[in-house]
Amino acid sequence: MHAYVLRKLVSLPLILVGVSLLIFISIRMLPGEPARVMAGPEATQEAVTAMTIRLGLDRPLPEQYLTFATNALQGDFGESIRSRLPVWDEIAQRLPYTLALAVTSYVLAIIVGVPAGMLAAVYANRPPDYIVMAFAIAGASIANFWLALLAMNYFSVTLGWLPLLGAGSWQAYILPSVTLAVLPMAVIARMTRSSMIEVLSQDYIRTARAKGLPASKVYWSHALRNALIPIVTIVGLNFGGLIGGAVVTETVFNWPGIGRLMVDAVRYRDYPVIQGVTLVAVCAVVIINFIAELIIAALNPRVRFD
Amino acid sequence: MSVISKLRAGLLATAMIGAATLAPVIAQELTVMQSEAPRSMDPGDQAATFTNALHAPMYEGLIKRMPDLSLAPGLATEWAPNEDGTEWTFTLREGVVFHDGTPFDADAVVHNFERHLDTDRGLAASGRLRTFLESVEKIDDYTVKFHLKNPYPAFLNIMTINSGLMVSPAADEAGTIGSAAVGTGPYRLAEYRSGEFVLQEKFEDYWGDNEASVDTIRWTWSSEPSVLSMALQTGDADVINPVPPVFAAPIQANPELDLHVSDGSAVFWVALNVQSEELSDVRVRQALNFATDRDGIINAIMSGYAVPANSPLATVSEAYNPDLNPYPHDLDRARELLAEAGYEDGFSMSVVVQEQEARIGEVLQAMWAEIGVDLDVRRMESGVWSDAAFGDPEKKAAEGVDAVIASWSSGVNGPDLQFRPLYATESFAPTSANLGFYSNEEFDAMLDQAAATVDETERNAIYGEMQEIINEDAPHVLLYVSQDLYATRPGVENVWVIPGGLVRVDTATKQ
Repeated sequence: MHAYVLRKLVSLPLILVGVSLLIFISIRMLPGEPARVMAGPEATQEAVTAMTIRLGLDRPLPEQYLTFATNALQGDFGESIRSRLPVWDEIAQRLPYTLALAVTSYVLAIIVGVPAGMLAAVYANRPPDYIVMAFAIAGASIANFWLALLAMNYFSVTLGWLPLLGAGSWQAYILPSVTLAVLPMAVIARMTRSSMIEVLSQDYIRTARAKGLPASKVYWSHALRNALIPIVTIVGLNFGGLIGGAVVTETVFNWPGIGRLMVDAVRYRDYPVIQGVTLVAVCAVVIINFIAELIIAALNPRVRFD
Repeated sequence: MSVISKLRAGLLATAMIGAATLAPVIAQELTVMQSEAPRSMDPGDQAATFTNALHAPMYEGLIKRMPDLSLAPGLATEWAPNEDGTEWTFTLREGVVFHDGTPFDADAVVHNFERHLDTDRGLAASGRLRTFLESVEKIDDYTVKFHLKNPYPAFLNIMTINSGLMVSPAADEAGTIGSAAVGTGPYRLAEYRSGEFVLQEKFEDYWGDNEASVDTIRWTWSSEPSVLSMALQTGDADVINPVPPVFAAPIQANPELDLHVSDGSAVFWVALNVQSEELSDVRVRQALNFATDRDGIINAIMSGYAVPANSPLATVSEAYNPDLNPYPHDLDRARELLAEAGYEDGFSMSVVVQEQEARIGEVLQAMWAEIGVDLDVRRMESGVWSDAAFGDPEKKAAEGVDAVIASWSSGVNGPDLQFRPLYATESFAPTSANLGFYSNEEFDAMLDQAAATVDETERNAIYGEMQEIINEDAPHVLLYVSQDLYATRPGVENVWVIPGGLVRVDTATKQ
């Protein structure tokens, strides 16, 4: 177990180097020079060239990468081309908002998704199952962008119940987190359903029922624990998708998180910010997956990490 | 009535009298929501309209633009040129300080222009200034003299915006001006959260009168047009800029909201690559112009909020000629011209267009198909488009780019800033924005002649002829001049707009 944790910790820097190199190269392959985008179409080429030199973007690529990597190792991700603020400050200012939104939505997705999936499994191929699965399919296919605009128009503009924008109060969390939770909620419900159906057909469940245990105890203690293993895996794997969803949701709701930062950075070709946000997002995904694996080990003693 | 409630009533009455006679007790905040985030806090390091609007309450130039669009004394009280317009002497206003306490004087002015003349600084808005400004000289503490390389008609206009706006030399030397604005304007930067808002508060030591306007201005932004519209309805925003034409009708229909429409400065056009085989023939270019139904485009794309372009200049330009009507929609004439040029069966061409303007391409595709022109519309993300649009002749030939859909806004800053970058031989892309490589010696000579003409009437006469040359040679298919649309909530007054969408809220009041 310790060896496993150690191995994970050693592989994280390697992943980061690989990802940073990949993102470094791929954003530079995007057409559109940052200096031209920042200076605008009405700027003269001379001004654009001067700006490119100032930003150090005229240097050979390997040199640019080495500079970036050396500074990044010392915790310096450079300066945003747009705001001229240190990239790390930009991220640190916003990360709490994205984490708060991600955690709220994920908790919501789990507390609704798991019981809904169990309900569907227990009543497999009967009306409750059909209803739950209809919602799950709709939830998985609806564009959260569209759903967000619709919800804003109804709950904020027409009814005036909830704040339209920003992260100023607890009420402001409701619309963005519900919107963001819809997709993982649907995925979790479907996963729980199939996992539970499989477990419910096993011998030990029949035994549990036969010895007269109440149904709730059979489902919640005996079945769910085993059914949880694939669910936790899915939850862990989906976290990356949640960050992707946050990009869209944060943009629509003017949420001051790293998703919106990323969108603005891509629009303005703000290379240092794109690099910084990507690295932070990768770290988050790796860490969450790692935690998921530890939970799986705790749930299933047969899993061994060596 | 108990003693306490009497006391309360008394206090209330006193408070109400106080409110009526003194300044209102509650701080008033005006929230402005625009379509994009600010690009820099340094007015000299960007040239985007919406960022300029946000800078306007904080920064001032030697000259300022008035709501009637005339020029008036700003940080300079008077100015005068020498005879040939190559030397301008400015008398500076005394008793002005920057928000950080740095005094405003001749040294500050010299510092501000020298940072733009220094190529190593690489500031985004310096380019235009460097084309004509030689040096700036301090005569005494409150007098400066500008030495121009050549007379430049837009000189005074440039003093009002971007590179003409004064930043604190201390903040510039400290390298913080890009993230923390320090100017001399009626409002100072209170807080900048780059992902959320810019908050501005009144500057106590402002040289002018800033008593009447709102206490604070909060700027926010969203790239999603429907969010702007919803924010205005809920009151999350007091002012939204711009209003996308599709949302204009519902706002206008809402009695609680005010839609403001005025002539804009952006001329939309299709630049034709005159080095492409078919388009090198002026008859083909004219045929495309005749085949274009400008009113149809305006209704389809702009919900009617635009005027057909009959000149390369915007309607607000000082030299604009409203009487030109070179290309009425006339398909027969278009077919005739194509046949004369030897393309009676039509031909194929491509156009590159940014995502947000892609519909213009689609509409043109349908219109030009009527005369047998098969238009290949290549829609691109804006950064990708910028790369393709500013390609040099070889790059465009290699990629088969025959035309570019774009717009240009020189607004009230003089025709030179429209004609020179778009049509002068020296401006071939990527140097500047002559995207179709139009070249006409006579036109180039007139451009310089106009620039050297100090008398405004004479100068505008030359610009008048130049509009006709461009119409005749048809290097562009001119489409429309967009109108500026912004909207306010009730009780918001004294907001105005500089053509091009630069909304001014520095004198705004709110009830």
